Amino acid sequence: MNLENIAKKYLTSKFHLNLKGKVISYAVPAEEIVEHCQKLYFQDHLALKTITAVDARKESIGFKVLYVFGIPKENVFLIPFVIVKDNGQEEFPSLAPYIQEAAIYERKIKTFFGLNPLGHPDIRPLLLHENWPTDKFPLRKDFAWDTRPEDAIDNTYEFQKVEGEGIYEIPVGPVHAGIIEPGHFRFSMAGEEIVLLEAKLGFVHKGTEKLFEVLPMAEKVKLSERVSGDTSFTHSLALCQAMESLLEIQVPKRAKYLRLIFSELERLANHFNDLGFMMLDTGYSFGGSNGARLREMIMQWNERLTDSRFLRGVNIIGGVTKDISLSTRDELNTALSTIHQDFSEIIAIAEESSSLLNRLDTTGRLDRQIAIDYGVVGVPARALGIAQDARLDYPYAAYDTVPCPLSLAIKGDVRARFSVRVKEVHASFALLEQALNNLSALDANFSVQTDLTALPRNAIAIGIAEGWRGDIVYTVITDNSANITRVDVRDPSFLNWNVLGYAGKDNIVPDFPLINKSFNLSYSGNDL
Amino acid sequence: MISIIIWTLQLILVPVLSPLFVGIVRKIKAHFQNRQGAGIFQPYRELWKLFHKDEVESEDASWIFRAAPYIIFAVTIVVGASIPIIGTFFASRLSDLLTIVYCLALGTFFLALAGMDTGNAFGGSGSSREMTVAALTEAGLIFSILALAFLAHSTNLVTIVQTVSDLSLFSFTPIILAFVAFLIALLAESARFPFDNPATHLELTMIHEAMILEYSGKKLALIEWASANKFLIFLSLGVNLFFPWGSAASFTPGALLLGLAVFLLKVFLLSAGVAVLESSIAKYRFFRLQDILFTSFILSIIAISLII
Repeated sequence: MNLENIAKKYLTSKFHLNLKGKVISYAVPAEEIVEHCQKLYFQDHLALKTITAVDARKESIGFKVLYVFGIPKENVFLIPFVIVKDNGQEEFPSLAPYIQEAAIYERKIKTFFGLNPLGHPDIRPLLLHENWPTDKFPLRKDFAWDTRPEDAIDNTYEFQKVEGEGIYEIPVGPVHAGIIEPGHFRFSMAGEEIVLLEAKLGFVHKGTEKLFEVLPMAEKVKLSERVSGDTSFTHSLALCQAMESLLEIQVPKRAKYLRLIFSELERLANHFNDLGFMMLDTGYSFGGSNGARLREMIMQWNERLTDSRFLRGVNIIGGVTKDISLSTRDELNTALSTIHQDFSEIIAIAEESSSLLNRLDTTGRLDRQIAIDYGVVGVPARALGIAQDARLDYPYAAYDTVPCPLSLAIKGDVRARFSVRVKEVHASFALLEQALNNLSALDANFSVQTDLTALPRNAIAIGIAEGWRGDIVYTVITDNSANITRVDVRDPSFLNWNVLGYAGKDNIVPDFPLINKSFNLSYSGNDL
Repeated sequence: MISIIIWTLQLILVPVLSPLFVGIVRKIKAHFQNRQGAGIFQPYRELWKLFHKDEVESEDASWIFRAAPYIIFAVTIVVGASIPIIGTFFASRLSDLLTIVYCLALGTFFLALAGMDTGNAFGGSGSSREMTVAALTEAGLIFSILALAFLAHSTNLVTIVQTVSDLSLFSFTPIILAFVAFLIALLAESARFPFDNPATHLELTMIHEAMILEYSGKKLALIEWASANKFLIFLSLGVNLFFPWGSAASFTPGALLLGLAVFLLKVFLLSAGVAVLESSIAKYRFFRLQDILFTSFILSIIAISLII
């Protein structure tokens, strides 16, 4: 369907639509937005990909709050937005009472833009801590990126509290015993059972989104590679795709295949790592060390192919910087089939171990409805049989030319997340084999030269790519002098962190590290 | 006189040898994980390092926190000196089954107290878990050795060793059952798989390690050393009570050396067995531990009923 038909299908004619690229954006009056979003979400079953805001006071508009809905298969995004007047109140109606997953986005908008979601049940600051003054809003244009306000002294942060006989509170973190990122967890337990688990994050907040607005174009791609280090490639891919759709660039076919290949290598390395760590956390050290070994083999191939173990410096706007020669391709093919066989043997041994399976089964079960309400994405969603994968729903790179199977499980426990990863590893090997074989028939060109300054005015572009954790969404917005005024990053962890407490509830505390590992969420990608 | 010499020898022997077996278990585990692993003498270097480090002590720590490492260490070396290790020709009053088991329990008691002393949340859960496991282990531990005591008509460990080594092979069925029961108790008491993971860094899953999180420097060294001693004590009890052949029966240098060599070989084999077990299974879920510990108790009871 073309954009006009899609617009006709989902929208009435009363809105003034702006059709551009893959995006249909339109202003909706504040009093209608809640109803309109509910229609798109509940009746049309569109996926809410992100809610973000932009400061357009320079153009005397005020602020805009944008609701990004994705139309699966069509690869088109509907973006209704409301205008929030800069009148000292800065209020907009909250979607949170109706659509649970909107709550976390609105909390972020409240903290970073100072816009007040009316009717929101929980507007505690998100990511910024008590030392941040409550009247400073970092993503507003009048806040300079290189300033640091004085520490506030009398702010407090209220944790949820469980009271009663035998309730015992354990604070964990932000600094942990293992080499992982910082985050604070507050457990309320009755004996060994977890009654409540609340996470407080934001310890690695770096001002990434603000920095995206200031850095020159090439540096923006570099910055996206550092949003979450283990997902360097997919993050920069999502940004590059958003920029390419803004600039209306057609990426060469070879670049599309190379992007698929590198994406899948990144997925393989991280899934090996995750599977290894899940086994290690149960004390099954055989699986743990083999997971690390397999990951290292992929990392060394990454380095050989791109000079970077984390595939950095590969994506550029308009293509990629590294090609794979035919002889290297054949070697890689052989190496991958060896690794695949190796992996299959290890998983076969692991799945024979009843003590391992006993730890994985039924542990950390996530309720399906809670997952749907909180908009869970990626591996935890597929482990509940929720069929969503950006590689299929919003085909990018060369995913529309090679068959990409959907890896699902049903139960939503640690075992299900384990088996979804195992299936995805097998699928990645199949994808890689086909993509590598197709490579020889393609034109040698793997990037296009582009004028990066020829940006359109007042445009919005969405870049979406399926990282190994889940889909990564970049929203890039230009102002009326054709400058990039906002880059919104939505890492899958931003949504999935919200359900970790539900997955942990009613489990015993010694099982929590395993549950946490089965999600393996990014702190950096969440804290930005 | 001979008793005193042997007692003094063992007093030194156990702490000197114990870190070696920790090192051996780690080395074997490393091989199972495709790693080269640190040398078998690494635990000695770690103790040396810790003894040369400064200590950090919580402001909330009381005398219990400060005294516990000494008590725990002292208990292990006294017990180590009193159990039959290389020979069966002395019997001290301390070599009694109940004395040994409850001396070790005294160490556990102080360790658990020290875990709670500083008010650290992890220490509290570690102590609570340790006491749960310790209480459930006690039955299996005592009854498995008691099976042998019924054979020997004595609760003195040295007498038990002498009696069991004279038995014919046909009477070994109940002893094997009791050994399996003892092995389960050994794993639980020395904080090993499937009860506890000595290599973990995850505070929330720890039992033994959670209790000693607040310790550093010399006191940590003492506690680590005491754990190694305890591990060796249990290994020695396992090999000498249930498979007592080769212990020196007379006080001559030749017999002593042979006894020592046989003892080292047997302990090496058992610790290798522990390492293989640790490498091939996952840790059990905390609430499944009582099932195994109960199995240990039941096996002991069966062994005893076969003997009586």
